[in-house]
Amino acid sequence: MPKCTINGKEVEVKEGSSIIEAMQVSGDRIAHYCWHPGLSVAGVCRLCVVEIEGNPRVQIACNTMVTEGMKINNTSEKVKDTVKWGLDFHLINHPLDCPICDQAGECGLQDQYMEYGKYDPEMAEAKVKKHKVVDLGPTVVLDSERCILCSRCVRFTEEVSKTNELGLFNRGDRTEIGTHDGMPLDNNYSLNTVDICPVGALTSKDFRFRQRVWYLKDGDSVCNGCSTGCNIKVYYNKEGLFRIKPVYNEKVNGHWMCDSGRNAYKFVNREARLLKGVARGVEMAPGAAAKNANEVLKNTAGDAIALVLTAQYTLEEYEAIIKTFVEEFKTKKVFFWINNKETFDSFDGLLSRGDKNPNTKGLLKVMEKHGITATWNDLSAGLANGSIKTVVVAGPENQVVFPEYAERLKELSKAQNLIWMQSGKNEALSALTGNVWIIPMKTFVEKDGTFINYSGLEQKIKKVTTVVSEALTLTEAALLLAGKNLAMPMTAPFMPTNQRPDQVELEHRKKNEFVFRRGSL
Amino acid sequence: MSVMQNNSEKSKWYLPGVLGGLSVTMKHMVTNLLNRKKMMTLNYPEEKYDYSPRFKGNHVLTVKKDGSLRCTACMLCATNCPAECIKIVAAEHNDPAVEKFPIAYEIDILRCVFCGFCEEACPVDAIRLGPEWQTPAVNGGQFIYDINHLAYRPNLKGGIQTHVDDEERHKQGI
Repeated sequence: MPKCTINGKEVEVKEGSSIIEAMQVSGDRIAHYCWHPGLSVAGVCRLCVVEIEGNPRVQIACNTMVTEGMKINNTSEKVKDTVKWGLDFHLINHPLDCPICDQAGECGLQDQYMEYGKYDPEMAEAKVKKHKVVDLGPTVVLDSERCILCSRCVRFTEEVSKTNELGLFNRGDRTEIGTHDGMPLDNNYSLNTVDICPVGALTSKDFRFRQRVWYLKDGDSVCNGCSTGCNIKVYYNKEGLFRIKPVYNEKVNGHWMCDSGRNAYKFVNREARLLKGVARGVEMAPGAAAKNANEVLKNTAGDAIALVLTAQYTLEEYEAIIKTFVEEFKTKKVFFWINNKETFDSFDGLLSRGDKNPNTKGLLKVMEKHGITATWNDLSAGLANGSIKTVVVAGPENQVVFPEYAERLKELSKAQNLIWMQSGKNEALSALTGNVWIIPMKTFVEKDGTFINYSGLEQKIKKVTTVVSEALTLTEAALLLAGKNLAMPMTAPFMPTNQRPDQVELEHRKKNEFVFRRGSL
Repeated sequence: MSVMQNNSEKSKWYLPGVLGGLSVTMKHMVTNLLNRKKMMTLNYPEEKYDYSPRFKGNHVLTVKKDGSLRCTACMLCATNCPAECIKIVAAEHNDPAVEKFPIAYEIDILRCVFCGFCEEACPVDAIRLGPEWQTPAVNGGQFIYDINHLAYRPNLKGGIQTHVDDEERHKQGI
């Protein structure tokens, strides 16, 4: 464990770590573009320069290892001047596209310029013109004029996705990023290149021009796309959710996430959601519809009630609803609706798993706890011979990963009474008539809870925002289906003093809706 | 607040003052009757007063030489607007040289405070506060100026061009 001194502070770092990693440990700021903790060291941007005592020249921090007793400094005039000139070279051919560029607001160049630059440009030459709006593949658009050739994306396709689509072509100031001949950037991890691009050269087709980033707030969550359970940030404002980006978690996803997981925000947005509950063809509020469904559940014998669950809800919700059915309705007919059975155990070797549910382990755990052994064949048989009269379904949130949805809906609608709970719209579901109850549910960004991923790791999620305020969580629905009322959680007497228990401190207030990221321009 | 009271003998002679004032009125009446062209007042709807060109009145979206909008939908005006009255929806343009353009640009003129911050924030001289100052409308909906009104209303005669030109800039290599 070598010890070194960074800007006068003594830091102890791991054996074999570079100076830039040591600076991450000590919390010192350093300019850098090409270095990324998840990729190999390229050392092409020449911005992370530091001065080392006893060394006459400045060195790059990303490719210099820390040795015992090293004295490092990146606040001297010499370093600042070097960074400034380095930045000037980066900006020679960089166009002033900020009004059009999607990266404006979270752009490395803007940040570095404000911190280390702020000079009068001394270049009189015309800028080198390169290609604009290059279609790299189904998800990514390239603007090679904005590219500063840090090669992060090239290294990503070489080292992480191992698909090798991207390369650096030509020489000197005519160098451009591009795809190899006839090889579009088309893999399930392509959008990570957009995340790691420090400038706006690579932009996501999905997010492009839809929203300026400073209008978006973010919240941490866990991806709902598959059983890996990648840690994510969802970006949203009052119009809805706009994108998902990965958050570093060494145990789960590292720095990355897959493209299909990034689509998980789409089924959360209002236009894709069920807004009103339906009870026997009459539209009503979701809570009222659930209460209405209690009538029929009350009047059905325990043996004739079945509960079908998909693995897309939280652990707490399963606990609540299974407990309700086992104890209130005296039925152990709880069934696990498994989507795409054949590919359930497949794995692409990086992150994406065939089990497209975030909480399969959680559901199995709760079912095991309550001693439930029913299989889908029991349900089919029961529906065929009419012994199961009332079916309650907690349907999928993410319907895209349930290809056999329509068939299952047809099968389940054979029951006398069908109580269907789900968050997203579905035409086939809304078209059902007769004794059908449809209860809108909340999605994973609208509730607290726990997901257990494929390896058994429990991850807590917190409510990020509310999209459909009337929708119910499965816990609330379980209460209402059992004929009880929703209780407001009241932990303390109302306002005992003038101080709220969750008093917002100034640091948190910066995330307030009205001031968040506004005025930073 | 102190009040000055003039209690002198002279102040009791009010009639000379009244007659003096009346004579000014009569003088104007006679000159207006005899020489109507020198009249100081305007018959408002027919006759209008022109403010200086620097006056900050109704917004104008400027156009390029080919008549298309200059706005790149960067939203800086909307971000800078203290009244939050600007709403923009951006979209991808077919022409790769343009890339981004607004498909909707709305100003809620009842919220607008005519501060000119939008003009100042605009990096491409796409929005200006013009010299027009009349904002009458019959109902609330007409107070929301849409993209067509802002850029191509009849009295702009096909749109206002800016001195900033992209093509010229590109030729110079800027």
